[in-house]
This record gives sequence, C-alpha cells and structure tokens, in this order.
Amino acid sequence: MSTAKNKSNILGKIWSNYSFIFVFFMIFLVYAMTNSSLSLSATMNIFRHSAVIGITAIGMGLVCITGEIDLSAGSMLAFVSGFSVIVFNKTGGNIFAVLAFALLMGAALGIINGVLVGVVRMPSFIVTLATMLIYRSLAQYYCQHIAKELIGGGSSVYKMTSSFNGYDAMYNFGNGKIASLPIVGLVLILVTIIFMYITNDTKFGKKIYAIGSCEKGAFMAGINVRLMKMTAFVIMGIMIGASAFLWICMNGSSDPATTGTSYEMYAIAAVVLGGVSMSGGKGKIIGVLFGSLSYTVIDKIIIALKMDSLINNAIKGVILILVILIQVAGPQLKERIKMLSVPALSDKDEAVYDTKVKVN
Amino acid sequence: MALLEMRGIRKSFSGVPVLKGVDLTVSEGEIHALLGENGAGKSTLMNILTGTIPFDGGEIKFEEQELKNISVKLSEKLGIAFVHQELNLFNDLKVFENIYINREITGLFGKLNKKEMIRRSEDLFRRLGVKMDPTAMVSDLRTGDKQLLEISKALLAGAKLLILDEPTTSLNNDEVEHLFSIVSDLKKKGISFIFISHKMPEIFKYCDTYTVFRNGEYIGSGKIADTTPEGVTRLMVGHSEDAGSYVKRETGETVLNLTHMSGKGFRDVSMEVKRGEIVGLTGLQGCGSSEFMQCLFGITPKTAGKIEVFGKEYKGGSVHRAMKVGIGLLPANRKENSVIPDMSILENMYLAEHTLSAGKFHLNKTKELKKYDSFQELLNIKAESGNMPIVSLSGGNQQKVFIARWLNTDAEILLFDNPTQGIDVGAKEEIYKLIHTLAMKGKTILVNTLEIPELQKVADRCVVFYGGSIAGELTHDEIDEHTVMMYSTGLANDKESKEVV
Repeated sequence: MSTAKNKSNILGKIWSNYSFIFVFFMIFLVYAMTNSSLSLSATMNIFRHSAVIGITAIGMGLVCITGEIDLSAGSMLAFVSGFSVIVFNKTGGNIFAVLAFALLMGAALGIINGVLVGVVRMPSFIVTLATMLIYRSLAQYYCQHIAKELIGGGSSVYKMTSSFNGYDAMYNFGNGKIASLPIVGLVLILVTIIFMYITNDTKFGKKIYAIGSCEKGAFMAGINVRLMKMTAFVIMGIMIGASAFLWICMNGSSDPATTGTSYEMYAIAAVVLGGVSMSGGKGKIIGVLFGSLSYTVIDKIIIALKMDSLINNAIKGVILILVILIQVAGPQLKERIKMLSVPALSDKDEAVYDTKVKVN
Repeated sequence: MALLEMRGIRKSFSGVPVLKGVDLTVSEGEIHALLGENGAGKSTLMNILTGTIPFDGGEIKFEEQELKNISVKLSEKLGIAFVHQELNLFNDLKVFENIYINREITGLFGKLNKKEMIRRSEDLFRRLGVKMDPTAMVSDLRTGDKQLLEISKALLAGAKLLILDEPTTSLNNDEVEHLFSIVSDLKKKGISFIFISHKMPEIFKYCDTYTVFRNGEYIGSGKIADTTPEGVTRLMVGHSEDAGSYVKRETGETVLNLTHMSGKGFRDVSMEVKRGEIVGLTGLQGCGSSEFMQCLFGITPKTAGKIEVFGKEYKGGSVHRAMKVGIGLLPANRKENSVIPDMSILENMYLAEHTLSAGKFHLNKTKELKKYDSFQELLNIKAESGNMPIVSLSGGNQQKVFIARWLNTDAEILLFDNPTQGIDVGAKEEIYKLIHTLAMKGKTILVNTLEIPELQKVADRCVVFYGGSIAGELTHDEIDEHTVMMYSTGLANDKESKEVV
C-alpha cells in the first residue's frame, strides 16, 4: 500500500512540476490528428511562430518569478520595432545599428518600468498599465508625425526600405532555415538555454527566486531587493528589444496599431501555463518555452481545421482555465478527501495550536 | 459579588498541559490585574473566556450562570469584550463607522443613516468622557485614542467585563493617565476590567486586585493594597532555575564599540563588546532591544551616535554594509524573516554569501554541497541532504541552517534575535551549546531574548532594556529572574531615582 501511495505521490509531483510538457504534447497530438499531412517542416515552423511570443514570455517569466508583472510588453514591442525600422531606414540598412538600437531602447524602456516598480516601489500592475498606454500611443503618434521617408513612405505603418542592402540579410535571418530549423526558432532555443542557465546555475538567478518567494527574508539575507527587481525589468526590456528585432526581420515592417497587441496577455498566459507562480518564487524557464509553444500549436490547429480564427482566443482561454483548474482544484480536492478519511485532528491542526500557545 | 468565577480551568495542546487547573475571580466594578511571565497561560485563559478556544475541564460562572461551552458569540452576548494588543480597528474607516460596523443603523433600501450613527457616537463619547470626533479617520487617531475607541465600541455593545491586554505598551504617560481616568470612571459605574500588564508601577497605581499565574498554575491572588511590587514579582518568578551549562571563557580584544547610539525604537545605547563574548539583551516586549539589533544590522538607519567595528567606524544604514564589516543577524520570526520557502536547504544557506560574492556569477554546486556538509557536521543539522526543501526541516534544524548562513559569510559578530522562538526544548539546548561552541571559536555573539533562563545558560553578561534605553547591566552571576524583572519593569530605576531625589 505504501509503495502505491509513493507512486501516486511521485506521479503527482511530476504532474505539478512538469504539467506543461503533458499539456504541450496533448495539444500537439490533437494537432497531429487534425493535420493528416504533418511534415517535419510544419512541426519546425512551430518554433518560427513561437519566437517573438516565446522570447517575450521568457522575459515575462523572469519578472513574474520576482512576483511582479509587466503589462507593457506588447506596446513596448510595437514602440521598439517601429523605431528600429526608423533606425534601419535612417542608417541606410545598417543591421548592427538596428540590433544595438533595439536592445538599448528595450533596456531604456525597461529601466523606466524598473525604477518605478523596483526603486520607487509603485505597484507593477499600475506602472506597466500606464507605460502600456504610453508606449503604444507614442508608437502610433510618431508614425503619423515623422518624415515619410523614415517610415518607408507609407502612412500608418513603419516599413523597412527594401532597396537598402541590409534588407535581404535581415529578411533571410527572419525567414531562413538551417537544416529545416527556422533561424528565429534557433534564437528562441538559444535564449531559453541562456535563461535556464541564469535561473538555475547563477547567484543572480537564485536571488530572483528568493525575492519572489519571500521578499522580507531575501532582504534580511542581504539581497538588494530594489536593484534585483529593477534588473528583472531591464532584462525584460532587452528581451522585448530582441523580439522587436526578430519581428522586423520576419515581417519587414511594424504596424503600431496591431503589432504586439495582447502579446503581454499571451506572454502571461504562457508563463502561467509553464508553471510559473504569479505570486513569484516558483517555476521554470523551460516551462515558459513549452507554454508559448502550446499556444502556437493551438493557432495551427484552428488553421488546420479551417475554423474562423476569431475563435482562437476562446480556445486559448478555455485551455488556460482547465490547466490552472487542475493545478488549483486538484490539491484542494485531495485535502477534502483526506479530511473525510481522517476524523481526528491532523498533525497540522495541532501544529497550528502549538504556535498559538507559543505566541500567547 | 463575583461577576466572573473560573475554577480549576484545564487546557492542553496536543498533550502538553498549558493550564493546570487555574482559578480567577473578578468582582463587579474592579480592576483586576492578571500577572505572570510570558507563557504563564494568561492569554490562553483569556482566549477560553472569550470563546476563541475550548477548555478541557473546570467550571466557569458568569453572573451566577454556569457556562459549559463558550462560543465567541455567547461571550459577546454575555458582555465580555477583549481589547486586543493589536487593535482590531479598520484604519481606513471613520470612527463612527468602526463603532457601528456590522450593526449599522439603516433606513429605506438599506441606506445608511449616518446622521443618527454620528449623533449616537457623540452621545456615547460624552457619557464616557472621551473627547473624540466621530467623523475622524481612525488612521489619524493616536494609539491611546484607538484604545479608547475600542473600549467605547465594546461598551456600546453592552460589555460588563473588559479584558485589556497590555494596553499601555505603546502609550506615553499622558495617554496612560487619560486611559485610566476613563477606566476608573467606568469602574464606578460597575464595569469590571481584567488588566494584563508587565508594568509594575501602573499595576500598583490603578489596580484593585490581582491574580498570579506561573507555568500554567494558579499561584495566588489578593488585594493590591496588601502586597508590594517585590512580593508580586517573587510570586511571578518562583524559584530560579538551574543555571545549566554555562562555562566561563576568555575574551579577546574589543570588536564592537557603541557610543550613544540611537535609532528607531531605542536611544542612547553605549556598550563595548569583546571578541568571544556572549552578551544577552533582554527586556519586555517592545523595550527596544530587537530594534537595536535591526539598526546594528543596517535595516533601519542610525540617527545618532557612533558604531566602531574592529576599531573602524561603520555608519550602518545598509544590510550589505553590515555584512561586509562582518555582522550577521538571525532575525526573530523565522518564518517571516529567514525562510525562503520555495528553496532548498543549500540555497537557503548560501543566499547571504551569494550577495557578497555576486561578482563570481556561476554557481559551483558540488563545492557548495561540500561546504554544506561541513556545516551540517559542525551544527548537527538533521537532514538527508542539502537538496531537501527547507520547509521539510523542523524549526530547530531550520534555525541551524540560518546560523550556517551567517557562518558561511564569515561574520564575526552574530546577532541572534530570539533564536529559540518556536523551537522545542531539546533543540533549544542544542542551540545554547552551539552558541557556546561558536563563542569558543572566537565569534562574538549578542543574544536578544525575553526568556531569562536562556540568559543564565549562555550570557556572560546581560543588558536590560526598558522603554528604549539601557536600564541596567548585570554580570553572569547577577542574572536571575527577579533582578531582571526589576530592571525590565522599570522598578529598579524608579527606586534609584527616588533614592537620588
């Protein structure tokens, strides 16, 4: 009996730690069934379509592990990608200038969020809600009020001038493949590996988890909580910069009205699906990767079934609720069953009394 | 006539008896002091009386009516009210809203009749002689007024017996005076009070009768007029316990030198501590010794005075700076301030060291595990491996991990704030031994504790705080419950100042 119990415990543990893998493979299975002609390249394309949202979600994951949230991600993506296009057009197609600018601008916007949340200690929900409005508004405003040649001649879209010599290189980077794996997908995998290293094997990573798990305790152990929170937001900004660069490489343009809309929400959903606790301190970066892959596959299922893509978000929402329902309701249900089977005071209850006595 | 009679009340928590048949009798219209050290069972008895916890045996009579089971509702209905130490008021609501919370006066469609509530509140305050504006925000009130508001609220609900749990800890003298002038008025109207306090001067000034508990036993009761502060203290303390495992050690050069240091919650602290010395800090709850430790560790800024560590001036105000000069703090409330619940034992232990060696980015897990193993042996941490979650350990073993946290940073000055809080007896002994071992190895240790037997076991000398400053200093041989109690209740000083006058 005890071995059976142990077994169910281990299974329960694997489920709670790695549910994101089960969820991904279940969704993938549905995709494979609906798509009779599933090819290797179609499978690899999942990585291509996950690249931007995946990298955004990894940055979001880091912020969420500290116990904060960043709602400005989508707007920041539009803002940074739009201005990166301007830099591309202005420098006559200098790829490195564009990349450096995208990363730096992301970092700068991240610092604004980070200082207000980490140093000034304003609630991150409010701060990033405000910067979400600001960043998108600025992206749209400058698109209308800047010299036309800088936005590629159009009127409401930031467009890279395709005649510049850097254009092809960037386009190939955004749409090319190495051994059937999309290059942007490779970037996503690389970023995931870097962040897995940072969160698992560095002192910085441990501090990020510590402040999310118990901020007071982390402070008492000498961790500079304000600086750490700010750094998390700056890294988030840099990730948005990288996402923005990938975006313009893939699309050659950025529409300030639609680029990255609701991306913060998708990123948060991927983070949660990946097992990161929104109250901080728990979760794995690899989970975030699987979370964002899962959402891309859902898109693909709907295309394969030739359904109206407007149903997309409804299905994503339902899956999110189901997965979290299992995570939250499961233990509660188990507790209920336990309480019914053990009528007397459990150890835990006595422990509560114990502490009460000591307090008294 | 006796308003309340409790006879032979017994209560055990998971087999450990906390109340071993205690008596308490309170008459109508008196202020009754309930006395005893921390853990004597006062609060447990009060929680039984207010129906928060059930009792195992004994007899309770209130107004001649025997009570078998008390629920919170019943005790409220009978007119028993508990004015808690942490006030149960809503800071963001107005005074009258607090008074009428959950029994609002309403009109048509549930619309609040604010005018009527304000009028009745004013009426109530006038009757009680309390000067308070019913429309003021509770957050703007002073602590003394909040206390009065709590009392007024209870009286409106028809309370006949009010329990005041250390009401004066955060009040200044004028506020105390004001509080008791109102309490005395109410007493004349036949309202009774149970007054829990550690401050002898107040007890002897305002109370009529007293009951003393010690370790869950009834020790004695009587009229305040028939006894003396020394007599009551002797009843509270009983025979002093065995001094235990204390060994005298050689001490080295001065490592910590404080001159007129002040900060939030304490003022004008001067002391000199030598290498290898164990200094006990004590006093009653809120006496400032814990605040002093936090300031020394850089959590709160120092407002005046000078700190010298190893002969060099250290300005404080930052935890990181404190760690760099070699200070480590084992904070009180382990759960809140030490434990990182989602992390393993190893990660919890290394957290502080990581902030000092942040330049070396990469974690060397095998090296860390090796170092953990050596600490595990030194501190006798009972755990399967460093990779187990910290929450799987018992309180005592967790505490050892946090001691290791500071040994790992090579801290020379260790501040232990209430290190044996929530730890069972056996583990306590281990912690005492550990403190000794560490001091023997040349660490300098400051231990802040409210438990005097603990000081007798470890401290070379003991500094007693009262009201934020040092009330006295005792050598190891002078430490006993009676003397410490005299200093920490402000009695010794009162006497001295009287003698000077």
